[in-house]
Amino acid sequence: MDTKPYMQDRAAEEFFSRLSEGKFQSTRCRGCGRVHYPPRVVCPECLSGEMEWVDLPCEGILLAFTWQEAAIRCRKPEVLGLVELEGVGNVFTRVDAPYEDLHIGMRVTFSTWTSPDGLVLHQFRPVGNT
Amino acid sequence: MKEVYVAGVAMADVGRHILDPHELGARVCAEALRDAGLLPREVEGIATTPHGYMADFRRFPSQRMADYLGITAGFMMDVDSGGNSSTAAVQVACDRIRLGRISSCLVYAAQREVPKKEVQKDVLGHFHLIRAANSLYDTYQAAYGVISPLPFYAMAVQRYMHKYGLEPEDVARVAVLLREHALRHPQAAYKEPLTVEEVLLSPLVSPPIHRLESSEMHDGAAAVVLVSEELLRDRSRAVRIAAVAEAHDPTNFLPYRGEIDEFPCVERAVRAALAESGYRVEEVDVAEVYGAFAGLELIMYERLGFFPRGEAPAAVREGRTTHGGDVLLNPSGGRLSLGHPAYVTPLLEIVEVVRQLRGEAGERQRPGAAVGLVHTEQGFINGSIVMVLDREMS
Ligand SMILES: [Zn+2]
Repeated sequence: MDTKPYMQDRAAEEFFSRLSEGKFQSTRCRGCGRVHYPPRVVCPECLSGEMEWVDLPCEGILLAFTWQEAAIRCRKPEVLGLVELEGVGNVFTRVDAPYEDLHIGMRVTFSTWTSPDGLVLHQFRPVGNT
Repeated sequence: MKEVYVAGVAMADVGRHILDPHELGARVCAEALRDAGLLPREVEGIATTPHGYMADFRRFPSQRMADYLGITAGFMMDVDSGGNSSTAAVQVACDRIRLGRISSCLVYAAQREVPKKEVQKDVLGHFHLIRAANSLYDTYQAAYGVISPLPFYAMAVQRYMHKYGLEPEDVARVAVLLREHALRHPQAAYKEPLTVEEVLLSPLVSPPIHRLESSEMHDGAAAVVLVSEELLRDRSRAVRIAAVAEAHDPTNFLPYRGEIDEFPCVERAVRAALAESGYRVEEVDVAEVYGAFAGLELIMYERLGFFPRGEAPAAVREGRTTHGGDVLLNPSGGRLSLGHPAYVTPLLEIVEVVRQLRGEAGERQRPGAAVGLVHTEQGFINGSIVMVLDREMS
């Protein structure tokens, strides 16, 4: 049974392929320098189509977190959260920590996680926890 | 521009249905036309929505209904914009009538989902439906297995509670109130009273949201008949559509930028609708609000302008949103307790407001209700439509 998400566009394929190599990257517009998340093939700021892949910040602020009762691929309950990356935006992500240990506003840092069916995804854990 | 009136309304009981959604739709269409005093041959337009999110995909339902009822339409449309679908259909139908292109339109929706129990019994057999639910979200959200917007709403409610220092009881209380409202509605899906303790003891489905603070997908059907003045058969029961306004944010489900519990489209839609209608929000007697979760219900009360930010929980506690209060919000029981066939929900909201304005809401009636408001949303409240309705003044 294929539980992988639809790779709905080329940029998403590229994003997850880089992630599988441990690289947390997205596109930056060569025209205006804006970093987009999620990655894009056109820039909504200046409408340029010239992109390069750059590293995203590996640390951010935990804006909110929860877990979901029903999901495909991910175990349950899997802790999920929203992380604000400065200058980039909000990243919806897995959180690598027990729900009870989390609070809004804490600093979190990037790592990767391989789902039971082999998809490499990003996750964040509280800074200082190893 | 011509005025548009709701001349007929009908709804099926909310719950589980055995009838095919097409047949269920035909029943409510017939009942709404009888209510309007119109025959199918007098209907000039027809619009509808898909039969559900997890339903087998069937295209052109409005054409099938036109054939079934014998409607020679000058306007026909199948709309799919999630929770806003049937309000969007009403809005376009309104515009066609205002422009004089048609003078009547039947808007209906009928939804029947594969029951959750059946899906759980045979997950593999229903996996195409689960995958379809997952594919509603973009890859960056779908990759985490999301099959409903529940975790997104959970995070929005968490931030709302955090900002205003709300306690779990503050959120649970609105679920209890909506159940009290639903107990006055013979067609509501839920028939048992509810307490704050029960809500807080129900399992967390996605914290801080408890099961009894979330709406379940139900089956249902509803229809409304819109007409211009010439086709109004009974002025005394006519309800006028005073305004409809629509607003969207540049977001698709969970916003990648900015606050996730703001939903600015709601404020823009309500501001535009009230301005067009000429009413102030204080003049609204009764409103049906699209709140799919208890916490969101509270946020929507605030965004619609009934209460300042952070003050909806106190308003609910003080009885300001119920019978005898400042404004009667979700007298039907709302999404949580009337039940929530999402594609049908906007029409259920219109049905309730029309019944209130006609004075036909029985035990739920707000005495003298003259101005009503309907609010709907799509996605993760990425877009909203607000309607203002009033009683015909003759
Ligand atoms: Zn650019």
